Amino acid sequence: AAMRRFLGPLLCLLALRLPAGSGAAARGLDVASYRERVRAMFYHAYEHYLESAFPYDELRPLTCDGQDTWGSFSLTLIDALDTLLILGNVSEFQRVVSVLQEGVDFDIDVNASVFETNIRVVGGLLSAHLLSRKAGVEVEAGWPCSGPLLRMAEEAARKLLPAFQTPTGMPYGTVNLLHGVNPGETPVTCTAGIGTFIVEFATLSHLTGDPVFEDVARKALKALWKNRSDIGLVGNHIDVITAKWVAQDAGIGAGVDSYFEYLVKGAILLQDKELMSMFLEYNKAIKNYTKFDDWYLWVQMYKGTVSMPVFQSLEAYWPGLQSLIGDVDNAMRTFLNYYTVWKQFGGLPEFYNIPQGYTVDKREGYPLRPELIESAMYLYRATRDPTLLELGRDAVESIEKISKVDCGFATIKDLRDHRLDNRMESFFLAETIKYLYLLFDPDNFIHNDGSDFDVVVTPYGECVLNAGGYIFNTEAHPIDPAALHCCRKRKEEQWEVEDLMREFYSRKKSKKFTLKRAPDHGEGENVKDPEDASSEKAGEKRNSKKSSHSLLSCPSQSFNSKLAVLGQVFLDNT
Amino acid sequence: MSVCGGPGDAAAPRLRPRAALMARRPELLCGAAIVLGCAFLIALKVTCSRAKDVTMPAKLPVNFFSTRSPVIDLFRGQLDYADQLRQDSEIVLYFFYAPWCGQSIAAREEIEHVASRLSDQVLFVAVNCWWNQGKCRKQKHFFYFPVIHLYHQSFGPIEYKGPMSAVYIEKFVRRVMTPLLYISSRSKLLDFLSNYEPGVVGFFEFNASPQPPGYLTFFTSALHSLKKDYLGTIRFGVVTDKRVAEEISLVHSGSVYLHRHANTSLIYPKDIMNFTAENICKWALENREMLIRWLRPHGGKSLLLNNELKKGPALLIFIPYNPLAEIHPLLDEITKVALEYHKCNKSQAAEACLQHVGDSDSPAFDSSVTDAHLKFSETFPIAKYPCCNTVVLPQWHSISRTHNVCELCVNQTLGVKPNKVHVPHCNFLEIEAALDSFYLQEHTFFQVISNTIECSNFLSFYSPFSYYTACCRTVNRHFLSFISSEKTIFQTPKVAFSSHGKKDSTQFSIPHIEDRNCFIPDLNISSTNITGLSCRTNKTLNLYLLDSNLFWIYAERLGASRSTHLKEFAAIVDLKEEVHYVLDQNQSLVGPTLENFIKNFSVLYSPLTRHLVDDPSVHFQEEHVVTEVTTSTFQQTVFLSAKNVLLLYYAQWCGFCASLNHIFIQLARLLPPDSFTVARIDVTRNDLPWEFMTDRLPTILFFPHQRKGQSVKFPEDFSVNLPNLLKFILHHSSLSSSEPCTKECLHKESVLQQGHISHLEREIQKLRSEISALHQAHDQLEAQLSEARREEQRLQQQKHTLEKQHKTLQLHSEQLQATYDQKNQELLEMAEKLQELADASENLLKENALLRILVASRGGKLQSKDEIEEPLQSEQTLSEDNDISLSTATAALEEKRIDNIDTIETEHSSGNRTE
Repeated sequence: AAMRRFLGPLLCLLALRLPAGSGAAARGLDVASYRERVRAMFYHAYEHYLESAFPYDELRPLTCDGQDTWGSFSLTLIDALDTLLILGNVSEFQRVVSVLQEGVDFDIDVNASVFETNIRVVGGLLSAHLLSRKAGVEVEAGWPCSGPLLRMAEEAARKLLPAFQTPTGMPYGTVNLLHGVNPGETPVTCTAGIGTFIVEFATLSHLTGDPVFEDVARKALKALWKNRSDIGLVGNHIDVITAKWVAQDAGIGAGVDSYFEYLVKGAILLQDKELMSMFLEYNKAIKNYTKFDDWYLWVQMYKGTVSMPVFQSLEAYWPGLQSLIGDVDNAMRTFLNYYTVWKQFGGLPEFYNIPQGYTVDKREGYPLRPELIESAMYLYRATRDPTLLELGRDAVESIEKISKVDCGFATIKDLRDHRLDNRMESFFLAETIKYLYLLFDPDNFIHNDGSDFDVVVTPYGECVLNAGGYIFNTEAHPIDPAALHCCRKRKEEQWEVEDLMREFYSRKKSKKFTLKRAPDHGEGENVKDPEDASSEKAGEKRNSKKSSHSLLSCPSQSFNSKLAVLGQVFLDNT
Repeated sequence: MSVCGGPGDAAAPRLRPRAALMARRPELLCGAAIVLGCAFLIALKVTCSRAKDVTMPAKLPVNFFSTRSPVIDLFRGQLDYADQLRQDSEIVLYFFYAPWCGQSIAAREEIEHVASRLSDQVLFVAVNCWWNQGKCRKQKHFFYFPVIHLYHQSFGPIEYKGPMSAVYIEKFVRRVMTPLLYISSRSKLLDFLSNYEPGVVGFFEFNASPQPPGYLTFFTSALHSLKKDYLGTIRFGVVTDKRVAEEISLVHSGSVYLHRHANTSLIYPKDIMNFTAENICKWALENREMLIRWLRPHGGKSLLLNNELKKGPALLIFIPYNPLAEIHPLLDEITKVALEYHKCNKSQAAEACLQHVGDSDSPAFDSSVTDAHLKFSETFPIAKYPCCNTVVLPQWHSISRTHNVCELCVNQTLGVKPNKVHVPHCNFLEIEAALDSFYLQEHTFFQVISNTIECSNFLSFYSPFSYYTACCRTVNRHFLSFISSEKTIFQTPKVAFSSHGKKDSTQFSIPHIEDRNCFIPDLNISSTNITGLSCRTNKTLNLYLLDSNLFWIYAERLGASRSTHLKEFAAIVDLKEEVHYVLDQNQSLVGPTLENFIKNFSVLYSPLTRHLVDDPSVHFQEEHVVTEVTTSTFQQTVFLSAKNVLLLYYAQWCGFCASLNHIFIQLARLLPPDSFTVARIDVTRNDLPWEFMTDRLPTILFFPHQRKGQSVKFPEDFSVNLPNLLKFILHHSSLSSSEPCTKECLHKESVLQQGHISHLEREIQKLRSEISALHQAHDQLEAQLSEARREEQRLQQQKHTLEKQHKTLQLHSEQLQATYDQKNQELLEMAEKLQELADASENLLKENALLRILVASRGGKLQSKDEIEEPLQSEQTLSEDNDISLSTATAALEEKRIDNIDTIETEHSSGNRTE
């Protein structure tokens, strides 16, 4: 507590440092020209990857060659695939799909990160599969419930399943794609490495009909939930055999980040109250223990004492996540804090010491991460605040001025002097560019608010697809939530709807019957609803539901949000 | 290589960083021999790919401004050189930038624009304060870019924090150039004082000395104020003419005057505060009057609007503003309104009284008003003028919902000099202290609330020589009673004062009573003049100006139309009540309309209605499956239509809403469109009347046909899916058809069945397409199957050929085996022969040895018989002959052996080949 008191005034000071005026904002950025510049950035990097690095995983921009980093799957190509479509390049998308179908092999003797393979390879292939019809790829009749890219995603995911064979259900961090978990593999995995599967795995289960993926992902999530500390926080690393916390720093950044992200996104994608209630509990604890003046610090997970007063580049996803669940005011306030750090360096250092207002030793790099831009995109959807476009402008200018080299875009090794490193991570094309482009392209199909949609007739019935509401996985691969309702369970629901429609038209005759049936059915639904939760938990949930409101909803925005633009923030009225 | 394909001039600058790279990394120098073109790049590539961790230092800085620009660009961060340059010019503007910074890039052209206009008077220096080898980076530590510093000779730096737009920057630079305005005549003085922005006037007589004492301090304080008050709202003027100075009762050279419109103006209290630049500036800033304030959010995180709007309801006026323009007619008009609105204090109130008397038609009031006026004029000259401030009591006091206005005065026992324009000498410290103690004592006033004036004296905390007078009146609608002007002296209990420590019974015994009989009752508010309204209403407005060139977005948020070319807009925002009112944009923004707007807001039953912001981006032409409802179409679509309406409240950013899109589309496609509407409304862009607001999203409401008032909400604890929604609709819509069947009902039934038929038709269509999809899948499978069969056949054929090949290969190997055996046989034979030869040679050797022994023995015998038998010699020669033939035989044998080895070797190599 003493530490907290000591920090308080310092944090306030930092947050109040005034940046220079915003004349440019008012006159409005030329959004279209920035959009074109982002497009040019993409092709500069993408073409040099194809020319100099393919089929390696990544491009090394200073030496103009390639290297394998996370396996050997031409990772950058898989990761950049859906960005191609978002940029509107249909023909290249089609070409790459056929290249991948022939060229990528997962039967290789390679030790791969379970987490990275899932988010980049499985996620990338799944989203490419779901978007392939939109991209004009000729799909087979069973699409979206079958297809070559889906089979590839499934194959990659199956290679990861051996990692989940632990007493706790939490997966190992690394798996050999050919032999399974290596003997003597370390059982220590980071929290995010355990809780970042539900989006891809549930999608896979819903599309293929094999529940094994969703089941292992849920089991791992629940194991983490069970092992949270008394004050409701989770640490950074855990032993998946003994369930003992190895690193006990709790925060929202590196090592934990996408766990929280996937609780929310899983809840939205699957309309799952249990996942959301988990997140809301964590959110309460995070606000109580780690939040100081709109910054989020690192604390000891059992005691709640501040262990590191730093802001990490990876934490910048948080405002975006908050805006998804309707906490736009807080999101904007935190975002504006983070933006000051960008203005100081032209990028976000991996670690930023908040009281000192400077980078942390050995953590000065900026590998062109997307998180802040991602938040800006989500927040721009919610507020249309020109400040967010300004961040996009700053990002484009910084990345072009600092990290553009002849062969692509190089990681910034040190933000203090802008020295460059010989690496271009695959997320630069998959995420950074994608979010930047989407920020500057408000009419992109990804932003579809439901006014457009496609109707697809499958052998399983008729599906409404591409109606918006895409859920981005943590590597920015969009998943269409409507696709999940297209394959499995589809038939039963359809029959039920048929019955109801028949009653609807003949209600004159069977009026009383209808009257009785509707509530009856409702109760039946209620029992069916929490199918995954234990009965005990279902009871808990119902109590909490009665006390307030549905967990799967956002608060509507307050009156003062009308004026909360151009850096203006309002304090809570309560 | 595409990198090399570029034209020569484009390639040249690109080489520079590489050259630097070479210089700093000697291990790369091996590639330096070839300096030009692709060869160079390739060489570099080769050297680099061998190095493990390749890094590259930041690119060398280049010109940020063009060389033709009037701005001197020190792109290597030469701060020392910049300081040297400063000696050359009186006014210098530094532009500290980082080349990667978007804001710096955006501000660049603004600075260039200003520079092109002022370059003859101001030196513009841009310094790259990022380049880590540069002096600037090493000495300065900025948290953001760009930073603009101004120097007026040695004074500085003055940081500019205003909007990054050329006109604002130029205005500021001009202020730094001439911080003091020279006021030569009376009319100029009036102009200067009539401005809405507070003015500070210093009087300095230059007749006595070329540099009157205090002038430099005053000048510096003007510059100093620009540091604190970067918007430059306080203007500084200097008067040198004694006669002009007398207009504002300045007699002594070196006195400083702060003009205030609504409250009494002040003279800088030299005897209490030291006459320093900082003090004058502080004094002016703390005492300035903010009748109407510019709001200029700086773009970073700030609580500006939060703090201002939480003070109470606010009138935000958006006008396009050019700071460089000579005249601002619209602004002047608004200022006039603001001044009128705030005119509460005596002298001006008196004027108002007079005006009102003139205006008034009501004879009933005449007498009292004149009476009041007479009284007032009587007391006016003899009233000892204190330093007064009008205080409107905060609204939160709930004892009485009346208008509470207090006049707070400081009565000084020394140094009070009445003067011509009735400007008393006020000390800001005292006013502030008075306010503090007044608020502390506040409760004592509210113990008795009546339609009376209550005055009270209390002592200052700080000064034993002064006391405060507070006269409060509770003003209410039944103002008539007030006309009689009951005066009650309200004495605060002594206990209350004891806490202040200093008690002066003599001062205390003289209550200061003030009368304000001219307070005209606001019985008929619509005809009431706006004058002094701010003090008479409990809905006091704070007035704010916003430059619509910079902050039009706020106007749009409040409902200003986007299409208008004229960017003028006014809105009253009440944060506490969560409402805002908008001045009709069809009316031009002029004084009278603003006055009406304010008046309408102030009356008890305000005719203003809450403005509902509508989303203009929704087009009606577009027909969607799910009807998009806006504020303006809400009534029509939901209530006036003769259909059942299912309405979804959503927001685009809410993840839980967006993922339901497909369900509502499906539902809309399922329900018969002639009796059902599936609609949705984006509530972040569309305001609705209070009764239709929801606090959570998504919310689903069902408005059944014929009972639109009885809407039902979809229960929150059910999951939103198609069957549940259908059941919900079914349950609530079926209630309506409980009346006995009439003709109408039959008609309905037929319509319904018609709908059913069309629904079934659609179903059939759907099934057909499903069948076709199945057919497709079937075809696909069939194709796959035949493909597989063909594949199988092909494989079988392949197997056959493979078998054949296998057979031939086998045959071949057999042949090879046979030849191998044969060769082996031959070898064996050869070996045998060799053996034979070896045996033979061995025999020969044996024979040889035997022969030698024989010869030796013969020789021995011969020696013994040497002298005896000579003729035996011939026999010996014969045996020597024998010897020779033997040696030739062994030689031949040797040759044969070598031959043999040769053949073995050749056989070996041939064997290799066959294998």
